[in-house]
Amino acid sequence: MISTTTNNYRSSMKQNASLDGQEIDSKTLSGWLNDIAEKRDKRAFASIFKWFSPKIIGFGRKQFNNPALASELLQETMTNVWRKAHLYNSEKGAATTWVYTVMRNISFDMLRKMQANHEDTLSDDIWPLAEAQNSDEHVFADHLMDKQIAQYLNQLPDNQKQIVQGVYFQDLSQEQLAKNLNIPLGTVKSRLRLALTKLRQHIGADND
Amino acid sequence: MIKHHPQLSLLKTYCAGELPASISVIIAAHIELCPHCQQQVEALTAKAAKDTFTYAYVEDEAEQSEFAEIDFASMIDDITLDDGIDEIKVAQPIELSLNQNTFYLPQVLRNLELSSWASLGKLSRSRVTLEDASLHTSLLHIDADGSVPEHTHNGFEITLLLEGSFKDEMGEYTKGDFIWLDGKHTHNPITEHGCLCLTVSSDSLHFTQGLSKLLNPIGKFIY
Repeated sequence: MISTTTNNYRSSMKQNASLDGQEIDSKTLSGWLNDIAEKRDKRAFASIFKWFSPKIIGFGRKQFNNPALASELLQETMTNVWRKAHLYNSEKGAATTWVYTVMRNISFDMLRKMQANHEDTLSDDIWPLAEAQNSDEHVFADHLMDKQIAQYLNQLPDNQKQIVQGVYFQDLSQEQLAKNLNIPLGTVKSRLRLALTKLRQHIGADND
Repeated sequence: MIKHHPQLSLLKTYCAGELPASISVIIAAHIELCPHCQQQVEALTAKAAKDTFTYAYVEDEAEQSEFAEIDFASMIDDITLDDGIDEIKVAQPIELSLNQNTFYLPQVLRNLELSSWASLGKLSRSRVTLEDASLHTSLLHIDADGSVPEHTHNGFEITLLLEGSFKDEMGEYTKGDFIWLDGKHTHNPITEHGCLCLTVSSDSLHFTQGLSKLLNPIGKFIY
């Protein structure tokens, strides 16, 4: 009995140490990413920035052995986190994994540029930040739907797609959806607004 | 059923972003066809992320003072000044028409140019424009009943079977198989119904048998 308790104690110590003294769990991290995506929340971004920056700088130092390049890696990674947070899907993985992917991709392109002066950005094709296509097609099977709109829908993050599907294809009210998904009504509204804005952008852009 | 996969250690290096571009591309193409390796890569990436973000932090004092010199507040302001978001393009099938057949290419090739096709007997080859030192990436098509005479490899050769099938002394390969061969292997691939492969080679092939030694120029052609 005693030894079990000690082990638990040790592992919880280790857990805390691993977070660099800050008690931040993965739920908080992915919550921040979602706030950036849905509300363009600058405070959430500052928090993400604060948590990841020493680690990214540390990684960059090892990778490039050059403080200026490490700082460039931080700047580029965080810019992509800000601009691409909507591609993050908390159901598919931890926030740390997603930010790692963003950072590793930038680092790969930077190294390729240094080695041979290639200006290409191959990394996002090798390691896509989001699945461009997805598996939920069966939901649409009974509906005659414009194929193009289906494609645009598939481009939305799952949590937004879910809302659009619920409201427009399953005829659920926003209140019902909030209840079914166990999220606040405000979140349903903001996801729907964000999704429709994006859909409009796509459709508009193609009809120009 | 895919039987040949990249080794776990190779997948690990792939996730760390430490492989040359052309090898990363051919592994990504395999992963598109292979749910098994897709899962492996997801797990390995999560682990790499955990390791990196758990242990990588600024250590000594010199580094800490450098770290303190970075103006984080203005970096944050700069980044968030622009409220725009980056959209990703919807994946469109990449069609390739060749000898009256239509093939679909892996998505990872979507931004890479293909050179025009060069043919030699039943072999057709197109280079994937991906400058990567001495590594050459190509699409290689072999018509039905075609073969490559027995050869070995001066360097290494990775073959990903995109469509069709072929067999050699070591067995039969099907769509999605990822085959890494080097100078230790000698083989004579034959295809009954034709096949399309993505290949990465580090050096030319070397034909080993009798008259086919005269074919060594073909070896250069395939490389």
